[in-house]
Amino acid sequence: MNKFSLLILLGTLCAAAQGGTIFLPGYPDRILVIDEATRTLLDKIPSEIGIPTAIGQSYDRKKIYVTSNDKNGIEVVDMASRKVLDHFVLNEEGHQHRIYGVAPDPQDKLLYTVVREVVKQADRYEIGKYKYGVIDLAQHKIVRTVDIPPEDQEGNNPYPGMNPFRVSPDGKYLYQFRDKVTILDSSNFHVVDKIDLAKPDFPDLEAIGIGTPFGTLVEQGAFVSLFNAEDPIVHRRFFGIARFDLNSREFQFTEVGPAPAGMMGMQVAPDRKTGYSVISNGEHGNRRCEFWAFDLTKNQRTMTSEFPCRPRFSFGISSDGKHLYLYGAGFEIEVWNAATLKLEQTIDLHNDVTMGGIIVVP
Amino acid sequence: MRHLRAVNQKARRMDDFVTSAREHVVGLQGPPPPPKMRVPLGCTLIFTPGWEVDSAGGAAGLCQPLERDIYDCYVDCYWPAQVPDHLNNATDWTSKCASATKDWRNLDLIFP
Repeated sequence: MNKFSLLILLGTLCAAAQGGTIFLPGYPDRILVIDEATRTLLDKIPSEIGIPTAIGQSYDRKKIYVTSNDKNGIEVVDMASRKVLDHFVLNEEGHQHRIYGVAPDPQDKLLYTVVREVVKQADRYEIGKYKYGVIDLAQHKIVRTVDIPPEDQEGNNPYPGMNPFRVSPDGKYLYQFRDKVTILDSSNFHVVDKIDLAKPDFPDLEAIGIGTPFGTLVEQGAFVSLFNAEDPIVHRRFFGIARFDLNSREFQFTEVGPAPAGMMGMQVAPDRKTGYSVISNGEHGNRRCEFWAFDLTKNQRTMTSEFPCRPRFSFGISSDGKHLYLYGAGFEIEVWNAATLKLEQTIDLHNDVTMGGIIVVP
Repeated sequence: MRHLRAVNQKARRMDDFVTSAREHVVGLQGPPPPPKMRVPLGCTLIFTPGWEVDSAGGAAGLCQPLERDIYDCYVDCYWPAQVPDHLNNATDWTSKCASATKDWRNLDLIFP
């Protein structure tokens, strides 16, 4: 082996050792597997349940739960072998159970979700109200539904890629981070507590992309994100960083500054010291987007950089926290350097991705 | 409707409201309301796949090229007038086409 070949081999090994793996739901029926180091498409995992409209990690972080909304199916994919372990559909003849995202319990036996029944009658479809639902992965069916109170119906209006709940490590509580932080008892879906902080909004764009960093934080029983709040006197909107302890239901909120028109939530680097967000001001042709970087140890904004944003996209972070991903509404992933906030590369997947979220694993 | 005229207070108020809505004069105490286009938000009432306007009546808020928008409209908007309906009537519309921008010729023809 000559020196040139040796250098190439070493380079390849180093790159392979550094990179993680990205899982993205793609049209029309596949999960795309992308190598972070080489930034190439490694595999396409065929899906049996239709267009994958949401993906999420299992509680043990070894599997992926994929859901679709045409057949309302659920598929379990092993991340290591990239094989489909199980799949089933909830639809029956003339009867649909529309679901979007699911959240596993700590034993990975049950999936919590928001479900809406649609019954095909002779002359019309009867659309039911949203209900909380529990899916048993062994029985392949919905084993329990609970009515959602009228005041919480609108807040539970689902969208593709949404993750309806965060489950506490002891499995006792379900957290909903939406217009308010709502904490439910997982055994009966009764509201235990409500906290009046609004989740950051971003007009015309998808909500937060929940990636691995949130997953690792949830494993430690914590949830860190950006939230909006409003003071009760002059109704000034401001945003800040909130840290939730999912077990004790306690939270800390630190104000950072006035709230911009829209924010895309926060992606946290694995060192948990740095966070990134995308903010937007203006609408349509006048929209301006910026990356914002935060020092989470001091709760301060450290860096901003404007970038030309597409009308719709999702936002993610690499497994090592050194790159930011902009993806969705098309077949490309833009890779931005997290240290400089400059565009590094655009990956052409030759395959459109759905708005079902992203999973990045080391 | 010219043969109708307002005879009581409520009808006169309705008449005034309709008339004022047609006028371009606005009060000085507040900023004028932004002009609104008379188009459906984000979609069209004719069957032309991929053609749409944003909520301001323009195209600046749409994806470029417009094929980037087709699939997500198909899945989560299911505007049946604009693109085929994913949930009930055309679940296999995209089964032969992985990338709408590059392979849109492979999309199935749907006849409503």
